[in-house]
Amino acid sequence: MSSHNPNPAAPAPMPSKYGLQRKAPNEIKAPSGRFFRRYGGYLFLLPYLILFFSFLILPLVYGFWLSLVDYEMLSPEAPGFVGLDNYREAMNDSYFWRAMKATALYVGMAVPLVIGLALLMAVLIDSLPEKRQGFYRLMIFMPTMITITVAGLVWRWFYHSEFGLLNAMLEPLGIWVPWLTDPNWAMRSIVLMSVWWTAGVPLVILMAGLKQIPTSYYEAGAIDGAIGWRRFVYITLPLLRPILLFVVVLTIIGSFQVFGQTFIITEGGPELATRVIMHYIYDTAFNFYRMGYGSALSWLLFVVIITFSLIQFRVFRER
Amino acid sequence: MNNTSKFNRRLVEFLVIAVSVIFVAPIILVFLTSFKPDAEIIRFQGIMPIEWTLGNFREILGAPEEIPIFRWLFNSFLISFSVTFLVLTVSSLAAYGLARLNLPGGRILFFLIIATLMVPPQILLVPVYLILNTLGWLDTPLALIIPAGAGAFGVFLLHQFFKGIPKDLEEAAAIDGCSKLGIYWHVILPLSKPALATLGIFTFIGSWNDFMGPLIFLDSVEKYTLPVGIALFQTSYYAEYGLTLAASVICTLPVIVVFLFFHKYIIRGIAMSGLKE
Repeated sequence: MSSHNPNPAAPAPMPSKYGLQRKAPNEIKAPSGRFFRRYGGYLFLLPYLILFFSFLILPLVYGFWLSLVDYEMLSPEAPGFVGLDNYREAMNDSYFWRAMKATALYVGMAVPLVIGLALLMAVLIDSLPEKRQGFYRLMIFMPTMITITVAGLVWRWFYHSEFGLLNAMLEPLGIWVPWLTDPNWAMRSIVLMSVWWTAGVPLVILMAGLKQIPTSYYEAGAIDGAIGWRRFVYITLPLLRPILLFVVVLTIIGSFQVFGQTFIITEGGPELATRVIMHYIYDTAFNFYRMGYGSALSWLLFVVIITFSLIQFRVFRER
Repeated sequence: MNNTSKFNRRLVEFLVIAVSVIFVAPIILVFLTSFKPDAEIIRFQGIMPIEWTLGNFREILGAPEEIPIFRWLFNSFLISFSVTFLVLTVSSLAAYGLARLNLPGGRILFFLIIATLMVPPQILLVPVYLILNTLGWLDTPLALIIPAGAGAFGVFLLHQFFKGIPKDLEEAAAIDGCSKLGIYWHVILPLSKPALATLGIFTFIGSWNDFMGPLIFLDSVEKYTLPVGIALFQTSYYAEYGLTLAASVICTLPVIVVFLFFHKYIIRGIAMSGLKE
């Protein structure tokens, strides 16, 4: 990595091709001046690069090394290299697979709902008079600005089986839902809350994408009878495709890292039904201080996420 | 034909209003309910409080020994402002160097920085925790401030913006004897106010709302930020919804104010991330 980072603080390596010995002593400054002109700009980068290498590149490499080590912070034994043992342990760890299953369930439900709602609302809002579009967009975006503790605690109160607002509102209809107490319902409740909390971001991106479609396309399409539903299927959707895919991948990546919602609202329960992978990593590393195993789990999650990121890059190149 | 399309448009707008109301309703409900006495909160009797009370706020603000909410508020402000200042400073300097100075190896370095946008920060928590432990920064605000400067998003955003600034201005300044640092300070930064505002607001709100960082890197209750403090205090005051809601309002109010004033920049920043460049 550091080979890409000529360190500006290091003494200037005198370029020998300038043949210092053939020059008068008072000209010795010239090459270093040239060096400064060439590399001096790195001084602008220096503060960022120090942080970038200390808190991004180093942790990335260090984290991978940790995943190959048996590092228990609470154990008196020195950490020892164990090769792929941590990864092998994960493959045979039923808690890991349960967490993966819970995560997949969340991703599988949340992504279609978030994207579906965001796309529907983006198209509908876009068809309204320009003056009011911003206002509606703002209202749907507002929940994304609220910290997860507040959002989570509020929804926990909504979902409460006794004093909960939702059941109180459903009572006249004779419906009672075990929002958080039933293992099957708990994840649905988390997804419902997450749709509310996260749909604003894809909505904003999709609306910006819709604005980029030239009206002339719609006008030309209208002559050929592309209005209403057909206009959406034959003009809007194909032209929006690249941004739609970007938003889908963004949402998938974010959803794989779901943590705050389940941590605050259900605390992983009931019966670990909502303990997602980030939550399991948190428990492993910061409750049991198994840093090696926690790192291995992080890297497994990273592999899953990077796979989706690479898909995204392919999608981008196609554009 | 004209009548049905008019009807359709009304229907669409009605649907949009309904969804918008559903999205804002929980926020408004929190504000209203925080003024209700406990009895009214537990038994839902309508959206508006029957009896308005400041009791919840008085209780939560009146016991600084038990609930150090002013301390948390101060910590949150201190950390969020420091992070914002740090990110704006280091990102704009780096972005200027990468976008404008034609550094040897600059393109590769820029690519390396951009590539880390794919790295979810969550997966770095364990190694960063151990690095902070080595530095002795755990349980101090530094643990939340300094690592935040490493993110690539700010460099990326400002780099794209700086690229779009016409070169003539810089050249004119250079002819007038302006140094590179002078150009950065007197030409580039003033022209980039919208991009800096976008990044600054993003960073501030992101840091203010951060939950996982303070949860993992902080230990002592008096070091907490508001979001973690509220989560903790929910566990010890379980089912005291009035207090929780009042605390939620205190935590959310600054964000909502920032948001209502600067939503233009926030929306633009997010929209930009999806579009070309």
